[in-house]
Amino acid sequence: MNLDDVFLNPERLWWWIVVPVLVALYIWIMRRKRRTGMRYTNTAVLGAVIPRQSQWRRHLAVAMSLASLVTIIAAWARPNGVERVPRERATIVLVIDVSQSMRATDVKPNRLDAAKQLSKEFVSTLPPKYNVAVVSLSGSPAVKLPPSTDRGLALRAIDGLTTQDSTAFGPALQTALAAVQMAPKGDNGEPAPGAVVLLSDGANTATESPLQAAQALAKAKIPVYTIAYGTENGSVDLDGVRQRVPPDRELMQQIANATKGTFSSAESAGQLDNVYKNLSSQVGFEEVKKETTAMWAGYGLAFAVVAALAAVSLGARWP
Amino acid sequence: MAAVDFTPASEPDLGALASVLREPTAATLPLNKLAPEAALRRLELTIVRRMEGFLHGDHRGLLPGPGSETNDARIYVPGQDDVRKMDWAVTARTQIPHVRDTIADRELEVWALLDVTPSMNWGTEGVTKRDLGIAAIATIGFLTQQMGDRFGGLIMRPDKIARIPARSGRMALYGLLRRMLTEPIVKDHSAGSFELAAGIEAMARLQRRRGLRVVVSDFLSAGDTELDPNVEPDWERPLRRLGVRNQVLCVEVVDRRELEFPDVGDILIRDPESDFQRYVNTSDAAARARFDAAAAAQRERVRIAIRRAGAGHISLRTDRDWVYDIARFVLAYRRTAAMLHQPPQGVSV
Repeated sequence: MNLDDVFLNPERLWWWIVVPVLVALYIWIMRRKRRTGMRYTNTAVLGAVIPRQSQWRRHLAVAMSLASLVTIIAAWARPNGVERVPRERATIVLVIDVSQSMRATDVKPNRLDAAKQLSKEFVSTLPPKYNVAVVSLSGSPAVKLPPSTDRGLALRAIDGLTTQDSTAFGPALQTALAAVQMAPKGDNGEPAPGAVVLLSDGANTATESPLQAAQALAKAKIPVYTIAYGTENGSVDLDGVRQRVPPDRELMQQIANATKGTFSSAESAGQLDNVYKNLSSQVGFEEVKKETTAMWAGYGLAFAVVAALAAVSLGARWP
Repeated sequence: MAAVDFTPASEPDLGALASVLREPTAATLPLNKLAPEAALRRLELTIVRRMEGFLHGDHRGLLPGPGSETNDARIYVPGQDDVRKMDWAVTARTQIPHVRDTIADRELEVWALLDVTPSMNWGTEGVTKRDLGIAAIATIGFLTQQMGDRFGGLIMRPDKIARIPARSGRMALYGLLRRMLTEPIVKDHSAGSFELAAGIEAMARLQRRRGLRVVVSDFLSAGDTELDPNVEPDWERPLRRLGVRNQVLCVEVVDRRELEFPDVGDILIRDPESDFQRYVNTSDAAARARFDAAAAAQRERVRIAIRRAGAGHISLRTDRDWVYDIARFVLAYRRTAAMLHQPPQGVSV
């Protein structure tokens, strides 16, 4: 993390040097105390009769004023914070694997039916202004639903998914990119930011490199949130032959990293539900840099008030 | 046109009050202000204990010799005794010639112990306690300036006890006082183990002739928080031992601010002897009242301990006229001294 990203005027942080100087000065003055006090002879009785004054208020006042100095200097350097702002509009492309391996029953009732059910729930939690597109992931990926705000269409498109042969990540990602670009432009002429949610349970069977397609998505600044679906020992009967169909977690992780998305893994319907819930909060908000000077100044003010109260309680003679 | 002084006003001269801020650098009283010598000539300090000097003086001695006080009658030894001393009444009654012996009149030897530990270098009202103690020694010195009386001094520093030999005469007394005034001021926190008890012990060990002993101190032991008068302070036993052979006067010097704590807000207080250091909120009226009561109890304990040791007690304060206080003491002392300084019973003296 670069200091320039965090502070707009990082050069003003040099003033923090004042703080250790003040601390050193304070300690030095404490050492010198022996020479500054009033001499008094009858201290044995004085010490026995007059209660020991606790010194914490004195130190608290100093510590709090130093803390307030630190935060106020930080505020002066104009710090940037990251704030999550709800997105006005976005295009979410739901890429759902429909390969034969989705028939595996390690997720009840089977992978595809469970994924359909939870995907529909996910779609209905998205803000109504979001465009949702559905892409089926198989040997020949297709846009089942172009970007649309009509949730009924989206639910029907998800319901209509049926299993097909083979799994081609590369073409599917390119199809998803095309689907994002199909979205209508906003009032200001800019396309809505897009995001791809990729749910898959199998390994790549096509020759096209999925990572190359991922690079194209990364260039378009479209994050791909990948979900590795299914368990390691899921299996499916194909033409009377029993085949193991574990998800390719490594590939999914690489895709997510390449496009600055996130990777998650769901081995059951419950886990998939959790993943979808996280995703809906991730794609629903965007992180915006915002100057947080006021917050830091507020902390400084709080420290200063505590310091002032401590100092007043020390010195003031109340009437 | 009048000359204008452009030099900035220097720090005001605080006098003895500066001792609150730092240890004083010199005595706060000049030699000629210690005691009004002429005014004290008409007063006389009552001496009740018997002396054992070797010169002819004005005080009652212990042994037979030419003097004014009559002693036993004894048989006349021809050729040795003076016929003018015949005791005719005894001779007539016993039919044997008797002479009346007299007890020699001896000179007085006074020794004064001056405590100059750092706690004495303190005072808020014109003089430090140490200089008030020297003034008290001067006053008592002039009161005891009769024929042949000698005056010696001990200066108790934390590291050693300096001894000024006893000599007779006004000039010798002035020399002793000047020596005490010019004694270097003891720095705060000086190393050394001499406390008042050790000082009195050293004075008792001096084994000089019987006489008058004056102990000048504030009778404060560092770290002694005891207020119960039934508990002996550590200097009481040596003081009683000193009183076995001598007539002892204790001069207690106190500053007003040791008895009444001032209201000066929140201040850091440190001790010139111990490493005591504490912020004290002097605005707290209840705490001040507690302190004043404790200080009064502490002084009462000192008074009772001195009385129990059979010593005379003069209490002087830096804000009062010490000559007046001592003169008043001397007048009252004429009546009480004989009772006060009775030699201990059952002890060979």
